[in-house]
Amino acid sequence: MNKFLLEIITPEKSFYRGEVESINIPSIGGSCTIEAGHQPMVFATEPGTLRITADGASREAFMSEGFIEVRPDETLVFSQAVEWPEDINERRAAEAKERAEEQLRRNRSAAEYRLNRLALQRAFARLRVKHHNYLSGN
Amino acid sequence: MADIAELKHRIKSIQDTHQITKAMELISVAKMRKAMLKQAASSVYFDRVRATLKDIMLHSTDIRNAYVRHRPDTRAAYIVIAGDKGLAGAFNNNVLNLAWQHIQTRPVHYVITIGQMARSFFESRDQAVDLEFTHAVTSPTLHDSRGIMRDILDLYDRNLMDEVYVVFTRMISSSVHEPTVVKLLPIEAKDIEVEAASSFRGEICYDPSPSEVLDILVPQYLVGMIYSTLIHSAASEHAARMMAMSNANKNADKMLDSLSLEYNRLRQSAITTELLDLSSGRFFSDTNTR
Repeated sequence: MNKFLLEIITPEKSFYRGEVESINIPSIGGSCTIEAGHQPMVFATEPGTLRITADGASREAFMSEGFIEVRPDETLVFSQAVEWPEDINERRAAEAKERAEEQLRRNRSAAEYRLNRLALQRAFARLRVKHHNYLSGN
Repeated sequence: MADIAELKHRIKSIQDTHQITKAMELISVAKMRKAMLKQAASSVYFDRVRATLKDIMLHSTDIRNAYVRHRPDTRAAYIVIAGDKGLAGAFNNNVLNLAWQHIQTRPVHYVITIGQMARSFFESRDQAVDLEFTHAVTSPTLHDSRGIMRDILDLYDRNLMDEVYVVFTRMISSSVHEPTVVKLLPIEAKDIEVEAASSFRGEICYDPSPSEVLDILVPQYLVGMIYSTLIHSAASEHAARMMAMSNANKNADKMLDSLSLEYNRLRQSAITTELLDLSSGRFFSDTNTR
């Protein structure tokens, strides 16, 4: 399988850099997979699961909202936060989920609704990534 | 000798001040370096956000984003970033005076301050401070900038203002920093400075659509802008303090030099007088007993 260079960048650090076979991204239009030789494109993403396949093995990571730039020479992933399952603080995510649900119930304005929905989405995505990898035994 | 005691006291007090300014200089050096490292780490990310945003704004026509649309520019909001503390040379004054001048040109204006010095400046001039952020100056974090961004967007969404400016001190090098005004909202392609141009110049598609990618980018762009202005301001504050303190150190050294010279001279002359007294006393007593 052809490989391409992937770099994942967050405001704090460079999260990942290396040759990969494919990545599966939580794009706004729905989940999709990028392989080598993809057309140059920019994807907007929502909080969800990022799956990286390198050397035949795939790993999942949590990815917050951001965007992905596919270029002929390399693919760049930009996101506010990207975390491996072992780095996810489960209790914090669960608390964030409860907080967001509580706030959603109150539902004051449209802007707040949007913010809370995103927060809830992030919490769900974090918990999903954490548990999914527990089950598959990684 | 009252004079010598006084001089001694003075030397002691200057030495104490010297010690404090020396410590402050060292702390400022460390803090400035830390702020610059933080800036370097985040700039890769936010430079790309800026570049992509600019690319979309220049090449796409069907953009309907509330933060890009131009409003009649009569009501302006100013975010003024200064330090929490003084003792940093002209750092606070320069940026606050620039803000003050700019504000006077607008009939309707709101003032949002970040940093204690900014707030007390406007309060002393009877300019109401509409919103205030504390604890964001000393060590800015992304979390702080997100909070500030949310509050400002909230006000902007309620249509209270047409334009948002940020007044801060830009750090050009460790010895050159200048107060600057930048426009934060509405976003215009010509206001976006791009430091790192993309190496790829071909046509890029946007998924699902340019305006939806833009919706994602805009908040991140704003967070990035606020964060980088906070960092620049913090780094320049420390640099300014570093210079002020190194000047203070030099002055203290000079003063200590001249004071200790004077002290020694006085001490020597006191000893000489005492010796004269002694020897003349001896001389008289000797001549009397004989």
